[in-house]
Amino acid sequence: MISFKNVNKWYGDLHVLNDIDLEIAPGEVVVVCGPSGSGKSTLIRCINRLEPIQKGELVVDNMAVHDKKINMTKIRADIGFVFQSFNLYPHMTALQNTTIAPLKVRKMKNEEAEKLGREVLTRVGLEDRIDHYPAQLSGGQQQRVAIARGLCMRPKIMLFDEPTSALDPEMIGEVLDVMKTLAREGMTMMVVTHEMGFAREVANRVVFMDEGKIVEVAPPNDFFTNPQTERGKYFLSSILSH
Amino acid sequence: MLEAFNFRVILEYMPLYGKCFLATLWLSALSLFGAILVGIIACAMRLSQSRFLSRAAGVYIESIRSTPLLAQLYFFYFGLPTLGIMLPEWVTGVLALTLNSGAYYAEIIRSGIQAIHFGQIEAGIASGLSYFQRMRHIILPQALGMTIRPMLGQAIVLVKDSSLLSLISIMELTRAGQLLTSERFMPTEGFLTTAAFYLIIYYMLKAFSNWSEKRLIFQEAY
Ligand SMILES: Nc1ncnc2c1ncn2[C@@H]1O[C@H](COP(=O)(O)OP(=O)(O)O)[C@@H](O)[C@H]1O
Ligand SMILES: [Mg+2]
Repeated sequence: MISFKNVNKWYGDLHVLNDIDLEIAPGEVVVVCGPSGSGKSTLIRCINRLEPIQKGELVVDNMAVHDKKINMTKIRADIGFVFQSFNLYPHMTALQNTTIAPLKVRKMKNEEAEKLGREVLTRVGLEDRIDHYPAQLSGGQQQRVAIARGLCMRPKIMLFDEPTSALDPEMIGEVLDVMKTLAREGMTMMVVTHEMGFAREVANRVVFMDEGKIVEVAPPNDFFTNPQTERGKYFLSSILSH
Repeated sequence: MLEAFNFRVILEYMPLYGKCFLATLWLSALSLFGAILVGIIACAMRLSQSRFLSRAAGVYIESIRSTPLLAQLYFFYFGLPTLGIMLPEWVTGVLALTLNSGAYYAEIIRSGIQAIHFGQIEAGIASGLSYFQRMRHIILPQALGMTIRPMLGQAIVLVKDSSLLSLISIMELTRAGQLLTSERFMPTEGFLTTAAFYLIIYYMLKAFSNWSEKRLIFQEAY
């Protein structure tokens, strides 16, 4: 589904992605973790070319994303992206936030899009917040609208960049629950997060990054109980200590 | 003072004032529409990736903002015919007002756009919305909504600036005052009446401003 082959990216002199090789199968759930600045966000932002790569091959759903000539609209429409800071459109209600892309990108009819929007917002537990504006919602609710916005495009892949790190602790659970349900329903997911509970429960693999490199790839239980590298051990002890 | 004020003459000139009031309304509305359109385009150019477009818009905005409107008006009025471009006076007038206010609108809209958190634009890109769809559905509604006050402020300036069109002999409110003054030697009556009509337009715009701000409830989001 997603295939990184020898992918490299630089910001000026900074080598942010260094020889990345990674294959993600359909239906797989992969958690990406690592210290701040290690390149996790950049890694998943390359998948829908929010950031271009400079070297290597990146193939997503049989489309060559590394090819500058390729039109990204279709592939972006098939990938849901959830940001740390929600990034909802503040002038639109929850429903409008979820239906804008189906209406404009998928050219769906009004009634059809609205029905879909209501259905998906209900799925994330927001059936009573459909006509609320983002400013009238809590952080957890906003992030669930953002997930619904992605799901309304009936995506083949969902990408999450630290979806719970901007949330108050009491709201993390409601967002993770929605994500766990998605994972169990067979969605292909790549999730940047340090939520170990989530990783243990639904991830097939954990990818540990440091300084732009993939240092370790392992099933969650193996990685969290017995990391194979010094850097992995050090990282785990640092997130466990608080 | 009041006895000295000649209401009869004002009544006599009322049909002229009525016509000129409508002319000012109409010239201003047309220029306003054009100016907002020019402003959106100039602003999009200013913020575009292309160095050339951005520079071109920058030169336009700076040169308009650094020179007096009267000079711009005369430039079009006397300059265009020497280039072989003959336009009716009112077209020249509307053109000058449009290009003048357009530069100010470009800056007002730019301030609105730059207040939008870039993450929303990324969210739009990530969901496959095109540049124009993002402009139309995400950026402009917010930029226009957030800047409704300065936009209306500039509209009021535009209406007042339209008085300069009297200098290229377009019939509008200020010209009506000039006529009354020169035909009957009654500058007080002439220009006070003119001022009263401008005041009416001002209150109309203000009422619109209040109404639209109430409608844009999402502003509470900021
Ligand atoms: N647009 C950018 N320009 C320059 N450097 C950047 C940019 N975005 C990220 N970086 C740098 O790239 C490195 C990796 O960033 P990022 O992928 O955001 O890391 P992470 O998500 O793991 O914290 C960091 O050192 C960061 O400062
Ligand atoms: Mg990050």
